[in-house]
Amino acid sequence: MKMFTKFFVLLFVSFSLISCATSGPKFTELAPSISKLPPDVGRIYVYRVTSFGALFQPDVKLNGEVVGKSTPKGFFYIDRKPGTYEILTSTEVDRKLSLTLEKGQTRYVRLNVSMGFFAAHIYPELVDSETAESEIQDCHFIGQENKLSLSKINMESGQSN
Amino acid sequence: MKKLEFVIISFFCLISLNACAFDVLNIKQIPAQIESPEMTKGSFQLNAELKVDLGTGFSRTLKKGTKWDYVGTVPFGDVFKTNDQILTIEASNIYEAYIVVSASKLVGFYLPVERTFSPLSQPEDLIIKSVQ
Repeated sequence: MKMFTKFFVLLFVSFSLISCATSGPKFTELAPSISKLPPDVGRIYVYRVTSFGALFQPDVKLNGEVVGKSTPKGFFYIDRKPGTYEILTSTEVDRKLSLTLEKGQTRYVRLNVSMGFFAAHIYPELVDSETAESEIQDCHFIGQENKLSLSKINMESGQSN
Repeated sequence: MKKLEFVIISFFCLISLNACAFDVLNIKQIPAQIESPEMTKGSFQLNAELKVDLGTGFSRTLKKGTKWDYVGTVPFGDVFKTNDQILTIEASNIYEAYIVVSASKLVGFYLPVERTFSPLSQPEDLIIKSVQ
């Protein structure tokens, strides 16, 4: 039984260490320098508030493309052309959110955590801007520079022309 | 020690039996082409909150005072969307949704990404007033 106790202590220590590991500027620090949304695209913020299930940080996919990671207390954003999108996270199961994005619109997606059998389930949920803007304040930026988003949009524009 | 082994084996058997249960919650979806006629049917405001049981173990509340704008028609009714609240329907996955109204009753939801209609098992009365 002592082995079990050690195992659980180690498990919880690992959880604690991982949950402290999110780095990057806080939203409050970064907000003034976040680039203005270009008029012909929309923006999606993705954030995870909770450290619960911190061992599980699956990729976040947007229409099949990896756009970030579900890091506890982290956030990132992506700019995309108006259209329909699916956000997917996978642990032992896939969890999907479908949403529309309009020109000039900002949408907020919170990554929630629930427990499964072998792994935590991370599920994306669409959140209203008032709630999200309050919850995201203490999250740390874990995204790429917005240039990546813009180059992606430019690439898509080039392909469609 | 045998007792412990029994517990562990039982635990894993239970997991094996239940692992497939995570994805059983599905919503009924019927393919639906949305048509936008030239004549708009305007907007309305909800005069009373409406709590809707989705039949998936989840529910949604349409908030009092929200304004709903006509966006088109599907074979099951007229489709309205709002900017005043987030509306999604939820089972194992979550889908952004618009409401579908027929004869002043909420009959289901239109899913703009999937382009499907998800019916309610029981239509719900909407207490509304027209808005210019």
